[in-house]
Amino acid sequence: MTPERFIHLADAYGADLAHWPAVEREDARTLLAQRNPQALAALQQAQWLDNRLDTHRAPLADPLLMRQIVASAYATEPPSSFWRRYADWLSRLGFVGVGLAGIAAGMLVASMSLPLSAAPDWLPSVFDHGEAELMLGIDSEEGEQ
Amino acid sequence: MKDPDPDAELLARIGKNEPQAVNEMVSRKLPRLLALAGRLLGDAEEARDVAQESFLKIWKHAANWRSGHARFDTWLHRVVLNLCYDRMRQRKEQPLADDAALLDVIDGSPAPDEPLHAEAQSAQMAAALASLPDRQREAIVLQYYQELSNIEAAALMDISVEALESLLSRARRNLRNHLAESERAASGNVVPRRGKS
Repeated sequence: MTPERFIHLADAYGADLAHWPAVEREDARTLLAQRNPQALAALQQAQWLDNRLDTHRAPLADPLLMRQIVASAYATEPPSSFWRRYADWLSRLGFVGVGLAGIAAGMLVASMSLPLSAAPDWLPSVFDHGEAELMLGIDSEEGEQ
Repeated sequence: MKDPDPDAELLARIGKNEPQAVNEMVSRKLPRLLALAGRLLGDAEEARDVAQESFLKIWKHAANWRSGHARFDTWLHRVVLNLCYDRMRQRKEQPLADDAALLDVIDGSPAPDEPLHAEAQSAQMAAALASLPDRQREAIVLQYYQELSNIEAAALMDISVEALESLLSRARRNLRNHLAESERAASGNVVPRRGKS
């Protein structure tokens, strides 16, 4: 490693070789062992700034904040999976289907319970008059046979 | 990814609703998240808000976390960075009292002949960090304080390792200049310079 390369890395990563790229560390140690004056000066300058950086105090994790965050874990619903959402969707669809089937069955029962001849024109029926007459005709033919 | 994710097992336990795992995750990650957000934003209260928002995302994703593309800690750094970016953007849209508050902190430093107390030193360092351009501050916080590898830090910042090194060098030079200026103003101490033993 050249002294220039050492200076470049010390300028970027600081004085602690543990923060340097792993592949450069051994060569850097070798240069330091040789007491290279440029490398030593760069290291000293980097160490001065590292010492200053270490004086900075990060915000503390106070107990109240910790309690609030722990409580938030139990107030958060995890997102449902695809299959769960799919099952929910099918379940809702099932309810709608059952409802529609009920309405259709009700209409069927209502229309069949009314006398065909008395059924007004506006009342919906599953059989129209023509089909009713046809069926009555079939019944009478069967009776004759 | 060759190494197993050290947080994977804990995430699985959180997914199974183990209260002890929730406590463990908070103890393990909260100081780290607070440090990251606090140093990027320079505001402890905002850092706490960011930490709370980040943990909401952890709880949402813990049960379905799959180790694959990124380590959990890297993903978490990305979450915090994004939340901090949002806040920094909002500040730029509404620039006001922050700089004034910072100057108050600087003005509160000890008189020139007094040694800097730990609190004043921390405030002075905070002011120096705050004086950096956002990307330089981000680089030094991720590489130095969060102790991420150069590859991890560069990936989080979406830049090359060479670009990261350039940002770090400029950040450190600016910090040295800022601190040297304030020290000269305070006590006239000489800052070691390259080439002098």
